[in-house]
Amino acid sequence: MRRGLIHALGALLIGGAVGACGSSGTGVSAENQTIKIAIIPPSTGALAEFGSAAAQAWEYAVAEVNAAGGVDGQKVELITMETDAQPATTLRAAREAVTQKGAAFIGAVMTSPEHGALNRQLEGLNALSFNSLGKDDALTGKDCRPNAFRVVQSTRMDLNALGQMLDELPGKKWAIQAVDYSTGHTSAEIFKEAAKRAGKEVVFEKYAPLNTTDFGPYISELRDSDADALFAVEYGADGVAFVNQLAQFKLIDRFKTVLGFNMVSEPLFKALGDKIVGFYNNVGYDVNADNELNRKFVKGFQEKYGEQPYYVHADNYLAAQTLFAGIKAARSADPGKVREALEDLTFDSIVGKVTMRGADHQLLRPSYLGQVVKEGDGLAFKVIASADAAQTSPQPDPACRMR
Amino acid sequence: MSTSTAKRPTVSVAVGTSSSDVSGIGLRRRLLLRGVTVALIALVAGQAVPFIADRFLMSLLLDGAILALLALGIGFLARHLGLISLGHTAFFGGAAYSLAIAATHWDWGPTPAAVFGFGTGTVLAAGVGVLVVRASGMAFLMLTLALGQALYQVCIQTAVRPYTGAFDGLQVEYDMARTFFGLEASEITSAGIFWRVVWVALVVSAFGLWLIGRSRFGTVLEGIRENEERMRFSGYATFGPRLIAFIVSGAVASLGGVLFALNAGYVSPETLSFVKAGDSLIAAIVGGIGTLLGPIIGAMLYIYAQTNFNASGNLHLYTGIALVLVLALLPGGITGGLTSMYRRFRARLKGR
Amino acid sequence: MNVAQLLNGLAAGSLFMILSSGLAMIYGLRGVANFAHGALYMAGGYLAYSVASHLSFWPALLIAPFGLAVIGAVLELLFFRRLQHRSHIETGLVTFGIAMILERVIVLIWGERTLSVAPPPGLDRTISLLGVDYPIYRLFVIGIALTLTAALVGWLRFTRIGLHIRAASHDVETSAILGINVDRVSLVVVCLGAALAGLAGTLAAPYVSLQPGMGAVILINVLIIVVVGGVGSIGGAMGAGMALGVLQTLGAVWAPIVAVLVPYVALVVVLVWRPTGLTGRRI
Repeated sequence: MRRGLIHALGALLIGGAVGACGSSGTGVSAENQTIKIAIIPPSTGALAEFGSAAAQAWEYAVAEVNAAGGVDGQKVELITMETDAQPATTLRAAREAVTQKGAAFIGAVMTSPEHGALNRQLEGLNALSFNSLGKDDALTGKDCRPNAFRVVQSTRMDLNALGQMLDELPGKKWAIQAVDYSTGHTSAEIFKEAAKRAGKEVVFEKYAPLNTTDFGPYISELRDSDADALFAVEYGADGVAFVNQLAQFKLIDRFKTVLGFNMVSEPLFKALGDKIVGFYNNVGYDVNADNELNRKFVKGFQEKYGEQPYYVHADNYLAAQTLFAGIKAARSADPGKVREALEDLTFDSIVGKVTMRGADHQLLRPSYLGQVVKEGDGLAFKVIASADAAQTSPQPDPACRMR
Repeated sequence: MSTSTAKRPTVSVAVGTSSSDVSGIGLRRRLLLRGVTVALIALVAGQAVPFIADRFLMSLLLDGAILALLALGIGFLARHLGLISLGHTAFFGGAAYSLAIAATHWDWGPTPAAVFGFGTGTVLAAGVGVLVVRASGMAFLMLTLALGQALYQVCIQTAVRPYTGAFDGLQVEYDMARTFFGLEASEITSAGIFWRVVWVALVVSAFGLWLIGRSRFGTVLEGIRENEERMRFSGYATFGPRLIAFIVSGAVASLGGVLFALNAGYVSPETLSFVKAGDSLIAAIVGGIGTLLGPIIGAMLYIYAQTNFNASGNLHLYTGIALVLVLALLPGGITGGLTSMYRRFRARLKGR
Repeated sequence: MNVAQLLNGLAAGSLFMILSSGLAMIYGLRGVANFAHGALYMAGGYLAYSVASHLSFWPALLIAPFGLAVIGAVLELLFFRRLQHRSHIETGLVTFGIAMILERVIVLIWGERTLSVAPPPGLDRTISLLGVDYPIYRLFVIGIALTLTAALVGWLRFTRIGLHIRAASHDVETSAILGINVDRVSLVVVCLGAALAGLAGTLAAPYVSLQPGMGAVILINVLIIVVVGGVGSIGGAMGAGMALGVLQTLGAVWAPIVAVLVPYVALVVVLVWRPTGLTGRRI
């Protein structure tokens, strides 16, 4: 029995030590001198490089706005938290940022599951979240929340854009190789509808589980089909493995078109190499877009960081722009007032004139189709076609009932 | 309390009580009374914590308490039967998912969904237990690992996406008007308020496990742990007690899962993963599976480590090092180490 | 079922075979379920990547397994030998901890990105086989695995040290009494097992891509293979490994759920119904 007491005492001691180590004091209210924004990008794991790109973009945006005297007369402070992209960790970081450090706005959270978990807690935290990376439809659908705003295109918007441009792509008999994940299935559905409209035929449809490393079985089946074009939805490590193995089986040359969805992107150019020249892919951001704000952004970014921004940079900068536009319109940094001001707000941005739709908090902006071309001794995207939000997202998702 | 100090503590043989101190009704009742008193004091003291700790610390403590339930279950099995399980996350996660499915898909209120989740987790434990308890040692470890991971694989299949949401996970949604033991939805997700419920669950579970451990049944379990053949030759059935012990430990884990799902409002396959199974086992071992409270301390330490090290990605580096160090140098875990320090201190006091 | 899919299955099975033979050897002799085997495989792959980037792929085939043999020696001398009087579970858990440490250290050195290694110039073409164009590299993997299997079985059966290994795996104490230097035999076995894991990682590098989770993913499968095949039976492990590779590959296209659950169901069935494994001894 005494042993039990010892342990209880020990537990209390440890608890006390932990308590003493943890910072005390409640958070500072966001209404004081500075506007505090917490960014919680992944700092470890496969997404770490996207995380650091997101952080760069926010830093750039905050530095730019502070140099111009702040927003609504207030300076902006960026609080960088770390996470491993698991919802539990991100949630804890968000709580710490809001309750201990006084943040009222959250950005750079990466994956859709993190957003799903975070969105539920936003009202309790009295904070607004700006989603620039999580494309899952449900975040502006059944899981939509009043304090959450999405700046990046949803999966459906991108797919609708691809569907619109399908008749311009060569190839009559299409094969679909998708990841066995919500995005994969949604993509396949929308693609099939679009194919029907464009008079194309789908002759092959297969799904590989997430984290597949050996695509041999799927590739062999693909070869046996009579498809002359390929729509592939495999991303991250799966995408790299798939493309590399497709090349090993010497199958790339057989297809008139290889259309990827979220498959080839700038960070993967080096890992994939020249074999992807000619691939098509959805492109969220056109770095060569011809408007003043974008030219200024690209030039300034290139000067500061020595490289051109790609979609992760652009979307996070856009999230900052959206937040600042909301604060300006509300003439206040109070989350409740900013939220009201943002609904149905139209403003100028690096991707043109955009509107934040009030019904589902989705930013309405164009989506593009790009092709990989050689540029210098590297690769780049050439934007082939675009579709604006009226075409890709004519209506908000009826499943979103803003509670 | 007679313990054999000559025996080096190992993972499978806990420095626990032997049967000889449960002698006489009088001693029993005094022990019981002391146990109840400690439990009541702990219960009341715990209610005061939200007044001392700030919001952030509160959320850490809550996470720690919920993980502690899972670790407690694992620790109980290890301590009394010498069985190491890598599959208790199946009950924790299974209960969590069942609650989420009942609440979100079938529109049950939080309380009935919680009961359903707890029940499903316990039934799962029974089902797995039947397959698993005849084995021991490495076979038991492999079987529990395999079955736990099989459940994980099932949950992420696209075929069951309508139920589990596969990789996307499942939000726990219920009518805002319905309450869980009088707590509303916003209170359930608030760490300071929900802590009371979780703390009660934790103290009650720990007390219950302590009672079982000290009872006649607990003695039988320890006999099985020491030498199963001899127990059987002495006329004791061994399958039944092992199964019951397994189900009890699974039930405690399920309780943790249910509370987790309610508080987080969101269940993802991560709760069933190999990583989580390993982490909960490590928490129990580092805390010390030779004692009842060791796993609780281990769980709190793990949450603390997770908060500080996870962002740099080095969490598993440190937990791996901790595990190796504890196993190689401090087999009783931290509480085991504290216990032996205390005993040596007392021995020195006695002038030995 | 066509030839290409069968070859795919054989290629996947080959990797399993090489990995499980190493694990079976360690398990059989030391009684330790080496939870670090996946991490060793990963280390082999990443080492091969570095060697291949600085030199070329062919030296990697020798250097990576050699490097892993060194790591194996460390494992044996520092851990297995010291802990041999403890229970097998404890030693197994220690390897679990080592796996976590090793995997993190690898990521700290090589980074979190997915890395690819191109097949060497001689092997990156396809060859027409029975009417199907098939990548030569995968045939190469199958070839190496089969040769290795034959060599390993031959070595165990026909050499002196092979005899010692088999004896010690069967009964450590009696072998020691009979004068076999069990410690030396253990060292050989663990180094060889680790080297085999490293070889599997090297072969896997151009085949699948290298990423931080690759060790954990393959570990469970390999553990199950060894137990199902029969602990201590290297032939059993190799057979089970090849069978699983083929089953999973064929199942992946036809019935993905079944393919994924096959190893788990097999393990439960075997441990409950026939605990000695399909061919070997009791755990």
